[in-house]
Amino acid sequence: MNTFELHAEYPGFTLDATASWDGDATALFGASGSGKSTILEALAGLRPAVRGPIELRGRRLDGLPARRRAIGWVPQDASLFPRMTARENVDFAARLHGDRNAAERAIEVLELATLLDRSAAALSGGERQRIAIARALASRPDFLLLDEPLASIDRPLRARIVPFLARIPAELGVPLLLVTHDPLEVAALTRHVIVVEKGRCVAAGAPAAIFAAPAAFGAFELGAENSFAVNVGGRSPGLLDVVTPHGCVLRVADVPGFPLPARVAIRATAIVVATRRPEEVLVENVLAGTVRSVAIEGEQLALRVEAAGETWIVRTARRAAEPAALAPGREAWLLIRAADLVPSG
Amino acid sequence: MSVGEALDVTLLTLKVGATATAAIALPAVATGYLLSRWRSPLRPLVQTVVSLPMVLPPVAVGLVLLLLFARSAPLGRAVEACFGAPLLLTWWAAALASAVMSFPLFVMGAMQGFDAVPPRLEQVAASLGASRARVLLSITLPHAARGVACGAVAAFARALGEFGATALVAGRIRGETETLSLAIYDRIEQFKSADAVAFAALSLALALLTIGAVELLRRK
Repeated sequence: MNTFELHAEYPGFTLDATASWDGDATALFGASGSGKSTILEALAGLRPAVRGPIELRGRRLDGLPARRRAIGWVPQDASLFPRMTARENVDFAARLHGDRNAAERAIEVLELATLLDRSAAALSGGERQRIAIARALASRPDFLLLDEPLASIDRPLRARIVPFLARIPAELGVPLLLVTHDPLEVAALTRHVIVVEKGRCVAAGAPAAIFAAPAAFGAFELGAENSFAVNVGGRSPGLLDVVTPHGCVLRVADVPGFPLPARVAIRATAIVVATRRPEEVLVENVLAGTVRSVAIEGEQLALRVEAAGETWIVRTARRAAEPAALAPGREAWLLIRAADLVPSG
Repeated sequence: MSVGEALDVTLLTLKVGATATAAIALPAVATGYLLSRWRSPLRPLVQTVVSLPMVLPPVAVGLVLLLLFARSAPLGRAVEACFGAPLLLTWWAAALASAVMSFPLFVMGAMQGFDAVPPRLEQVAASLGASRARVLLSITLPHAARGVACGAVAAFARALGEFGATALVAGRIRGETETLSLAIYDRIEQFKSADAVAFAALSLALALLTIGAVELLRRK
């Protein structure tokens, strides 16, 4: 069991966060400035001003200095030691604990062998993140804390890194606590989510339960309004066919090494809507449907569309379409890229 | 002025500068580190005290050293008891005066070097299990090295040119305490303009070399 009750007063911000959870892959989820990184740093022992009990894997950590907490902390910018090579970064942690095995295992699982002799300064964003994670794992941590590990990485590279992260708890036996403001990362990597808002933990549960309620998305300023349980129906090179409970067939990216998805999610803003049947469009999923409701939300149109047996929430720029063309009852086609559908186990 | 004399004065100047810089290296780096990391209301006060030799007249600093290390003063007696000879009017006294005058420059360079080390790197190292000493030696110092080196070279350059405090505590004894700046003053007093200009040219060459070294370090 893992618990914390953290309290701190900063100018203009109060942290008053309490949570308890079990399991090996958990997300601290919330908007920027909500306090999730502060919580993570407090757990790592890097925020002396934060008070309160902390217990991870049954071990009491509050009162211990950072170096005695056995926490692998990976900041958002990876913070590799720039004057060292990738190998020296990993070895720095391994030497402190006198155990090369943990380092070698992390290098193997994260597939880093070819990067080790390169200077830390010469690595790409994704490579830096993987080296930083390997370095943290080489310290033989009881817990791995990842602060926005995918935030600075572009989408195709994310698809490469997600499987590496997903393998850590099972293959290395180190539980993850992941900070993110991206519901898709939560869905892809974790089985439990703690929602942080204005310095407080306001909700917790399985990602599917938390993100299934549209009201929750409004409350938490989230983005992935569309999330469906799925069964895998078939496989073609690079793609999986999955089927929702109401029979909607979707083609999603088949990422090597990633388990078959039980859910897929997509942001409302990632769906393109067409008012005429699109032809010769190179998109994996084109769903015909009917507009059920339209609402103007500032500069956006919020649509509810029934297509292929499911109800979809779509947000599009107001200037991109006349509200009349998308009036309730009008035909609409939804264009969804396979890469934008994020699978989760 | 003979070549031998010029060489002797130049070598003594370099010896005084190097000794002064080496003597203050550890305390200057430690003070720079503390001033960079110490978050206390007393910090500006400490910084002011450290900077005093830069704003005080060098002769005033020399006078303080003279009073402290005179044979009748407790500190002077202690030094004499330890080393069997008084400190004043020796090249060691010249090195002491140069060290005191150079100290603030070394501290400032080191402080800037430590300020430039991202705190995140130190936090990561601590989270990996490194002790404070290990973090300092393995992460902080190597990343602050350029600033520390700049401070060292600036202090060395200042020591090479030190005059006021040095003249007071070391005197102007040819072949024993006469550094380049003292030699220039001495030859002017004796109306040996050509010798004074020659010593000044040597000072200029040394100054150019040290400034060049600072620039190289900054650009590296």
